[in-house]
Amino acid sequence: MQITDPGGIEALHRLKATDPRLPLNPSLSATARAASRYLFSSLRPFTLKSPFDQLLVDGFDAEQIWQQIDLQSQPLLASLHRRVKQLEKNPEEVSKLKTVLGKGEKKVVEEMKEESEGLDEDSDDFDEDDEEDEDEEGEGKENEKVGLENVDEDQEDGGDSGESDSEEDNAEGGGGIEDQFLKIKDMQEFLEDGENEGRGLKKDNKMKKGGRFDEEGTEDEEEEDDDEENENDEEDDDEDDELGDFALEDDEDEENARYEDFYGAKQKKGSKKKVKFIDGSEGSDTGDEQDDKPFSSQKQETISTHEKQLEKQRSKIERMEKANMEPKNWTMQGEVTGPKRPKNSALEVDLDFEHNKRILEGHFDDVQRALRLPSKAPREIKELDENKSKKGLAEIYEEEYAQKTNLASAPLTFKDEQKKEASMLFKKLCLKLDALSHFHFTPKPVIEEMSIQANVPALAMEEIAPVAVSDAAMLAPEEVFTGKGDIKVETELTQAERKRRRANKKRKFKAGEAKRTPKKARESALPNPADGTKR
Amino acid sequence: MLKRNIRLRREYLYRKSLEGKERLLYEKKRKIREALEEGKPIPTELRNEEAALRQQIDLEDENIGVPRTHIDDEYANATERDPKILLTTSRNPSAPLTQFVKELSFVFPNAKRINRGGQVISEITETCRSHEFTDVILVHEHRGVPDGLTISHLPFGPTAYFGLLNVVTRHDIKDKKAIGTMPEAYPHLILNNFSTKLGERTANILKHLFPVPKADTKRIITFANQSDYVSFRHHIFEKHGGPKSLELKEIGPRFELRLYQIKLGTVDQNEAQTEWVIRPYMNTSRKRKVLGD
Repeated sequence: MQITDPGGIEALHRLKATDPRLPLNPSLSATARAASRYLFSSLRPFTLKSPFDQLLVDGFDAEQIWQQIDLQSQPLLASLHRRVKQLEKNPEEVSKLKTVLGKGEKKVVEEMKEESEGLDEDSDDFDEDDEEDEDEEGEGKENEKVGLENVDEDQEDGGDSGESDSEEDNAEGGGGIEDQFLKIKDMQEFLEDGENEGRGLKKDNKMKKGGRFDEEGTEDEEEEDDDEENENDEEDDDEDDELGDFALEDDEDEENARYEDFYGAKQKKGSKKKVKFIDGSEGSDTGDEQDDKPFSSQKQETISTHEKQLEKQRSKIERMEKANMEPKNWTMQGEVTGPKRPKNSALEVDLDFEHNKRILEGHFDDVQRALRLPSKAPREIKELDENKSKKGLAEIYEEEYAQKTNLASAPLTFKDEQKKEASMLFKKLCLKLDALSHFHFTPKPVIEEMSIQANVPALAMEEIAPVAVSDAAMLAPEEVFTGKGDIKVETELTQAERKRRRANKKRKFKAGEAKRTPKKARESALPNPADGTKR
Repeated sequence: MLKRNIRLRREYLYRKSLEGKERLLYEKKRKIREALEEGKPIPTELRNEEAALRQQIDLEDENIGVPRTHIDDEYANATERDPKILLTTSRNPSAPLTQFVKELSFVFPNAKRINRGGQVISEITETCRSHEFTDVILVHEHRGVPDGLTISHLPFGPTAYFGLLNVVTRHDIKDKKAIGTMPEAYPHLILNNFSTKLGERTANILKHLFPVPKADTKRIITFANQSDYVSFRHHIFEKHGGPKSLELKEIGPRFELRLYQIKLGTVDQNEAQTEWVIRPYMNTSRKRKVLGD
């Protein structure tokens, strides 16, 4: 161990003394390299598996130097964390360590703490300085480690818990998935363990690059933590064993996994900074941790939703109990006499049911007016002519008599005359309109009288010629003569046929004569009526 | 007039007698319709008549499709005309009763009140028929407190007999200003909890005492049934604030009606068939809710 290398120490001091705001110069670089080399070599004894004996700084890039330091310090830090957790778990160990810790070493530790607190993170050099800080801390811890010789497996947990605590403070740094149970670092270590057991190796630093930056930040925060805690951590490491990254677990620790181990004792659930326990890095199920993670984080924030529900229920129960304790509504009491209840309360029927709701909706049970089917056509209202009748009474009787005897002249009523006039006008109008369209689609005008027209054309054809009414009576043969059966001319008849015809004719004549003779007798008997109407 | 009445009555009885056959027919048609809809084979007993019935089914409209009972047939044409009500009392009414009847004449729109005098019931119904009233309402009392209501629908309609309880009239409320005047617009109706057949029938009887209202009228009459006691309430409502605010002001008399009989004739026919009568002396009558729920 070259902790007493004066050149190195001096370089370190000088570096510390430089003002960060000054411009960089090559001498500073040389100083920095010397300091780094010194630190590296002082830590070398603690890192058993490091490939480098010395930090190679001549002609090497900042990046390369950095890599070397990284190679050395990664596993170191891991083991230190574990150790601290272990010691956290068993605080009684701490007191043991305190007694063992020597004064000189303590001083060194404090010194280094001061140095580490002073520095910045901006340039390459300062990166190196950071590493130096970490190395210093690591160194400090290593120093304490060396002082002790007891190997206590249980204290691994203390170290681990310390590690988990520090990482817990930087939960965001892990990409938001890390919490008290899940540490990416631990997971990686576990995976490596599995691999290495297969391969026979025990360490693989390269996997841990991811966690590197976490640790940087972690280290800074840790520096700002309670001094007490830091002291605790450092002191805890006194008994950290040198087994490396993966500590062996006690079997009984795994069997005794309890709620308290995962979620802490029940009173402490709100506090984030309190110490939580982990059952070793490889013992915990990452799967479980994943599931538990959201629940635990919720509980940590505020009262959980479940709690809120319980609160609501409790308050509801309280209210109901209170209502039960009060004296009941008069409607709920048994025999209630008049004086006991408010006035006119018995008349108040409980109308709310949906009364208001129905009114608001407009949902009434009104009588609906039924649709009336048209039963019959509207009757014609007879129009009465109010003017005085122009005809005398005798004339009226005359018309009536004529109506009775023959139907030829039926006197038109007032209404009929109007109708006739109207229809005539309409017909004229229609004719004119039809002529305009050359009689093309004219429907036949409705002739109300039923009269057999003998000489009317059966068909009205469109005539392109001007309107001219043809005189030709275009009657169909059926319209001329309707006869049934076989029509024979006289010449075609047989003898028997001719005879038959003559016989029929004679018979008819005789029948007609018989009718005519009593008529003639009657005619001669009755006198001619005075009005001279024809018979 | 007499002959006409007799003829109408005979028609009515005939239609009533046809009911049985019509119901059978209706049932058959219904079965065929169901079978057709579900795609199942037609029941064997209907196979012969199936074709004819199917034709009828196709041709029938909503009027014919429903089987008609003589019971509500009385109100079939009631919707076509506004009801015209005659209000009167029992003989020698007391002052409170006359006041009550006066109030009722305002409650029912289109109602006319006449003095009873010494008229016999048959005379009253004669008057009604000749003047084309649709309903007659008689109010009875006991020592000033109205206790009975008889509603008779006129052409040959049913008569419903109610008992009145817990009557509060507008006259009882001394403060005239508080109660205000009664509006005479045609009211909206709310008939609540008339769920059985008899309940529907009663609801019908009560409903057809009122004409078709305008949609925006503010007057509401409520008949709410609760364990066979129908409460009558008369309100005016206003919506002040917005859609949800509702202010109800009670006006008009309030009373509870208890139906105890329905007869299938007018009030002057003593031998008319009873449709339903109350049986309060049964042990289970307390448990039976006859008007609904």
